[in-house]
Amino acid sequence: MISRRGKVLLFLYAIFLAALFLMCSTDWIIREPEKEVYQIAVIIDEDKSDNYTNFRKGMDQAAAELNADVHFITLYKKLDVEQQIGLMEREREDGADALIVIPVKEGQVVAETSAVPVTLLHPAPSNEAGGIVVDYRKMGERMAQEMQTDMPKGSTVLLLTASGKWGVADQLFLEGARETFGIGENVRQAVWKEGEAGFLAVLDGLGLQEGEKTAVLAQNPEVLSAAAGILAESQEVAGRILGLYGRGSTVQILNYLDRGQIRGVCVTDGFGIGYLSVCEAVRELEGNGKKEALVMDSYYIEKEDLREEFFERMLFPVE
Amino acid sequence: MQGKRVWQCGALVLGVLCLLMVSCRDEETQERMASIRIGISLYQGEDTFINNLCSLLEEKAKEFEQERGIKVILDIQDAKGSQNIQNDQVERFISLGCDVLCINPVDRMDASVMIDRAMTAGVPVVFFNRQPVEEDMNRWDRLYYVGVDAKETAILQGQMVVDLYREEPRAVDLNGDGVVSYVLLEGETSHQDSLIRTEWSVRTLKNGGVPIEKITGGIANWERSQASALMEEWLTDYPDMIELVVSNNDDMALGAIDAMERAGGHGMNVIGIDGTTPGLEALEKGKLLGTVSANKELYASVIVELAASCALGEGLPEGYPLEEGTYYWTPQEILIQTIKEN
Repeated sequence: MISRRGKVLLFLYAIFLAALFLMCSTDWIIREPEKEVYQIAVIIDEDKSDNYTNFRKGMDQAAAELNADVHFITLYKKLDVEQQIGLMEREREDGADALIVIPVKEGQVVAETSAVPVTLLHPAPSNEAGGIVVDYRKMGERMAQEMQTDMPKGSTVLLLTASGKWGVADQLFLEGARETFGIGENVRQAVWKEGEAGFLAVLDGLGLQEGEKTAVLAQNPEVLSAAAGILAESQEVAGRILGLYGRGSTVQILNYLDRGQIRGVCVTDGFGIGYLSVCEAVRELEGNGKKEALVMDSYYIEKEDLREEFFERMLFPVE
Repeated sequence: MQGKRVWQCGALVLGVLCLLMVSCRDEETQERMASIRIGISLYQGEDTFINNLCSLLEEKAKEFEQERGIKVILDIQDAKGSQNIQNDQVERFISLGCDVLCINPVDRMDASVMIDRAMTAGVPVVFFNRQPVEEDMNRWDRLYYVGVDAKETAILQGQMVVDLYREEPRAVDLNGDGVVSYVLLEGETSHQDSLIRTEWSVRTLKNGGVPIEKITGGIANWERSQASALMEEWLTDYPDMIELVVSNNDDMALGAIDAMERAGGHGMNVIGIDGTTPGLEALEKGKLLGTVSANKELYASVIVELAASCALGEGLPEGYPLEEGTYYWTPQEILIQTIKEN
């Protein structure tokens, strides 16, 4: 027989257990702070993501650290501004909290941005607050300066351009290089043609003297990879070139640099850009406003720099 | 009497609740129709074949999106050869609300953890390229596998040399001694394709009447660099003896070619499997004798279509009949320098 006191104690014990259960397992008494998962859409200006491997790694790293859900979107057609704007609209309607955009045409994209925070990756210094800047014109200038130091004086330089539509970065990089080289007979420009025969035709078109070699500057990573691939296979092409230069840090480009088909490249910290762009977007979502645009450095590297710790960490990041 | 009325009222309330729940579910499905989210985990993003396939998956997802007007979100993650990382990725995909998972398992013998998690969350899984063991595949009717038939691959690889030998024996028996001396580059020991490719490729050569003799062989784990190192060693150990290099994949075949080029270029025949982009380039340049290529466009299409059907709760795509309702085998073809056949 349980005494009256025992019954009261039992009752109190049951109440205590119930309260403990409610506190631990429900939100009724102690409300656990709800951690918001930010939906961030990243829309690039290309139809393939090959040039964005490190960028994506950085983006994923920041997403995991900052509780963001980031998804990466490529265009159906490279450099299609209408489509990029359409995709931005779609993502906004689908509930994205913020957008990170590598704009096809900055002016047009900026005009479209209002409803949700947009972090832009500017290809040139901008008056807009926020975003991340990679100054491609400056990169082109730096590239040209390095080439001038590297090549014998008076050497011919071939600016090898992409055959299709140029992106803003392509345009600015070329302009920077062209301005540094100046106008002269020894600076030529030609459109890239596929294959060994195509490359030879381009070189023939320069009208160089017998045995004269040229330095080649590729306008973008695609042209650089393709040209390096030909150089690796064709002794004839390799024998007519002083050195191949360009920009980009895809694994393929770095392999060609390591094997000596590429003389030097300008690179940026893709991982850092991806990471910081997500940080910037989250910062804004948390109501901290826009900071001044962050300007990323670009570096000129040659084969031997690949083994330097700084570049190794930058180009082959470990998540 | 009153009790009966209470029961009737209860049934009515329950009925109304059921109707409400069904209509909410319909609305939810309608809403979900507008977009699907697919979590893709790759065993090793640096593997050339997987890399090629991954690019195609992105392409096919975009095509699907355009054709059907349904947004497709792809979450692609690289497991970097670690099953633990892959298990975490599966966990994350599920918590992010992925409608379906496409998994290229790191360890085909250890897919049970991922399957458990997917089953608990009710998220269907399309495995590809590395086939989980049958016991695991039989655990749930919403598990699928898309890949190539390893035995067929190996037979085709052996057959290309048999055909060439029958047509022109000296093209294979390079020194004309009546014996084709070969070395063998094998993939991971834990991968079923590696074992089957090795066994059936060699068996096809023997059955086809090619007088083969194995000099040596080694495991290069599908990797170009490892194959290159092995081949370099063999070229030193067995100078002018190797006539044929049989490789379980194109990457290792290219590694062997790299070593041969470093050694000054030998005229031996190298055969691979996969038809990767660098493999096809080497074939075009005459460095690789031949390869067996799966129709990668179709491979990627099936994965995306199957995943999308699962996510949308539609019937399985009619154009791609599944064996036992679970397996899809992608057709393959021989690509060889002189002979091309389907």
